[in-house]
Amino acid sequence: MILAGVLLLLALVLPGLPLGQWRAFLLDAAQFAFLISGLALAWDLLARTGQLSLAHGAFFGLGAYAAALSAPALGTIPALLVGGAIAALSSLLLGLATLRLQGMYFAIATLAFSEVMRTLVLKSQFTGGSIGLPVQPAFAGAYPLGGYYLAVAVLIICTVVSLLLSRSRLNYAMAATRQGEAVARVLGVSVVRVKLVTFMISAFLAGLAGGVYAMKTLFLSPYDAFGLGRAVEALVIPIFGGLYTTTGPLLGGLIIVSLETWLRLRIGEGYLVVYGVILVLTILFLPKGLMSLFARRKGASHA
Amino acid sequence: MELLLQTLINGILAAGIYALVASGLALAVGVVGIVNFAHGEFSMIGAFVSYLLFVSAGIDPIISLGLAAMVLFLVGAITYYGLIRPVLAAPELNQMLLTFGISVALQNIALLVFGADTRVVSTSYQGSTIALGSISFGVPPFAAFVLSVGLLGALYWFLGRTRLGFAVRAVAQNRLAPGLLGIETQQIYLLAFGLSAALAGVAGVMLSVMLYASPTVGFAYTLKAFAIIVMAGLGNLRGVVPAAIILALAEAFVSTYVPGGGGWVEAVFFLVIFIALTWRSWRVP
Amino acid sequence: MRRVLVVLLVVLGLASFSLAQTTVRVGVLLPISTVAGKAALNGVQLGVDQVNAGGKVKIELVVVDDGNAPAAAVPALTKLMTVDRVDIVIGGLASGVTFALSGPVKQYNPLFLCIGAASSVVEQAFSDYGRFFHYHPWDYHNVAAALGFFKSLYDDGARRVAILYEDGPFGSAGIQTYRQQLQNQGYTVQAEPFKSGSGSFTAILTRFRSFRPDILYWIGYDVDALPIAAQTRQVGLEPKLIYGAPPAWPLGFEKNNLSNDIAGMTAWLPSVANNESRRFVNLYRRKFNEITDEYMAPMGYVIALSLGRAAEAANSADKDRIAAELARVQMDTPFGPLSFKPSDTGRTRFQGFNQSIWLQFQYLEGSRRPVFPANRAARPLRFPGNY
Repeated sequence: MILAGVLLLLALVLPGLPLGQWRAFLLDAAQFAFLISGLALAWDLLARTGQLSLAHGAFFGLGAYAAALSAPALGTIPALLVGGAIAALSSLLLGLATLRLQGMYFAIATLAFSEVMRTLVLKSQFTGGSIGLPVQPAFAGAYPLGGYYLAVAVLIICTVVSLLLSRSRLNYAMAATRQGEAVARVLGVSVVRVKLVTFMISAFLAGLAGGVYAMKTLFLSPYDAFGLGRAVEALVIPIFGGLYTTTGPLLGGLIIVSLETWLRLRIGEGYLVVYGVILVLTILFLPKGLMSLFARRKGASHA
Repeated sequence: MELLLQTLINGILAAGIYALVASGLALAVGVVGIVNFAHGEFSMIGAFVSYLLFVSAGIDPIISLGLAAMVLFLVGAITYYGLIRPVLAAPELNQMLLTFGISVALQNIALLVFGADTRVVSTSYQGSTIALGSISFGVPPFAAFVLSVGLLGALYWFLGRTRLGFAVRAVAQNRLAPGLLGIETQQIYLLAFGLSAALAGVAGVMLSVMLYASPTVGFAYTLKAFAIIVMAGLGNLRGVVPAAIILALAEAFVSTYVPGGGGWVEAVFFLVIFIALTWRSWRVP
Repeated sequence: MRRVLVVLLVVLGLASFSLAQTTVRVGVLLPISTVAGKAALNGVQLGVDQVNAGGKVKIELVVVDDGNAPAAAVPALTKLMTVDRVDIVIGGLASGVTFALSGPVKQYNPLFLCIGAASSVVEQAFSDYGRFFHYHPWDYHNVAAALGFFKSLYDDGARRVAILYEDGPFGSAGIQTYRQQLQNQGYTVQAEPFKSGSGSFTAILTRFRSFRPDILYWIGYDVDALPIAAQTRQVGLEPKLIYGAPPAWPLGFEKNNLSNDIAGMTAWLPSVANNESRRFVNLYRRKFNEITDEYMAPMGYVIALSLGRAAEAANSADKDRIAAELARVQMDTPFGPLSFKPSDTGRTRFQGFNQSIWLQFQYLEGSRRPVFPANRAARPLRFPGNY
């Protein structure tokens, strides 16, 4: 909680810090790290209801395309909201269809959803199809730090929503749903509503992150925007950082993306071997993710 | 009519290798309870075993089939012993992240060693064809289909008719509480995971003949294999073959009968899965 | 007097010293874990070795991986510009990534020597950018080169073309133009998309069977080469020519019987008979102990050499003076002569190669031989081929 606050504060003041020659690079890399961490936070929200989604890459992509297509007419901020809304709407439909699926069955159904979505975008004319879609920068490029602060804003929104939800009554309903839907129903939890509402919030946030991503890369193609790699990253980060927490995905995302960037610069070819090995070691030695480091220390201080 | 028959044959032959990859995965998921993201990388290793034996010693991939199976059984056993065993009791998500890490590492080790190049072996039979009237199909896909069916038949026989197979099924159906894993259970897990990897290795050798060998060769098939075992129902080994046939037929029919259908193949594949999953979930009360 | 002389000598010495020490720092931004990116990097390094051995200028490379993805490439370019402080960047292989780079490139204004990125979407994106030197032909050049070949095939009696194109940006970009232009030439055309790497073509090829194509033209990647060659036979399609246009072919494909008679398009082959090409092959073999089939390797080499020449002529590390000299460069390369002109659409000012670098080859008895255009052919095209 405190750590999350510190991280967000750092994100806010980063452009003002004396970073010297690394400033521009750090701001660029940080912007992508914030968006991916935001996506991971969004994924974790849904995971709290016990649903393992592989559709978050698709929500990200839908948000990206919707924002990119509507930005010339609506302006940056409304376009981003449209992106989130489209993602949320699609998640509502997907959620209704998959209400009764669990575990791997839900995961594969959401994977199928993203593959179908990608093909639809690939085959449509108005999305630029397989050639791709050029995108305008945020605020038509009027503010140099505009894109950066949008990414920070997305990260803050995701963090705050995640925190608020974990302190709300919904959190108990989510945990109960995760631990067993039958029991949850007995406890008076409206499982259907909990699942759908969480799904929509989660997808909205993913779509928002996608929109900002589009305005940074200035170009979208279906294979990039709907990449399965991003869906997997959204799942890897919370497990790495610590599931069902706010600080876990936030810290995990920042660390994993920085680590990947750093390894790519340092090692170059084959850097992903190290990345893979680190994931394996984390699971073997930190089964509850990075958060267990803090939990352990807390436990020790209590003793 | 002719086209229909040809399309049916195309679809069914394509199902063979799908079923082989998926059965291996089904063993890992159904018996050991591990969602193994690195399954495709086991196939990739199999493809490279075949390629290396071919270029270094001129060994025909047919002979490499057995060798690759043994190598991969060993790789699978080591992976199980060193990496999977410690997380058997961990939450499913942790296991997934672990196997994902293994997959990333293996794929990129291959990239370091072999580079990203696509490599092909050359045999005398790669292009050979069986023609029955106006219907024709390739020998390699047909052989791969026959071999897949044979291997799966042997697997079912093993699971259904032998004592050890019975023990495997017992373990699969009656997963003991974590922490109570006995030594026998451990051995059966080891066996199942090794077999799973060996099946992937055999499939990899076939891929090296029909497609190519490269660090990413396993990826496309793993995704589909996951979809197939989920469609069959996790742990339902017998359902794998029908599921593979349905999906492969769907692909073949779309490609053949829909103009521009080649671009929709993936979407149709996953759409069929999606409909099957959701429909089934709503039908059962 | 003597003192004056000494001072003069020292000044002259210093001047010539600094002359020899014109050091140009150059950023290289390539997808180094892909085949083409690795080949391009090797080529660039080879060219830089040559330039540095000449002794007049010294090129220092800062290499970064663009990860073949916009999210990795954009920060990588920013790092080159602000941390390594280079003024010149060699890169831009994949079109999508290069498009994403157009934003930061315009922000930091480097001299951008673009090695690939054939999509005319990229041409549009850099149309108002004056420091953009594009070496590779644009997609409309590629189309023009292929169409020249098809025209001669029409004269040989081919009438029906079946096109298989992968459904990513690489395969789909020119497809409408191809179809239109082939129809203008008098062909009947049927086109079908496919997913690259899936390896299953039997169904689509079965569909093509009733169309009885003379030419099976596929636009995809190296992973598709063998499955298409094998499955064309397996379904009994029997076209008169299989013509492929992947950016690279699989290793060992020429040794496979199925490759026999398959034709394709490339910008360069190791067997190309010109002095620069032979020189490149020798140097490459000496440095890397192997030879490459990738035309991106000589492309990288040409970029480094031309940059070296421009820097020598400019006698300075200043990007604008180098750019001015580069615009005037005329040199022989493994691809033929290189000089920069405005692009055919007039959108960009410095376009290096055009359709004339493309040549058509055919796999024959275990090697690739140029077969078209006639002035570069090592032997005639085998048409109809035997599949």
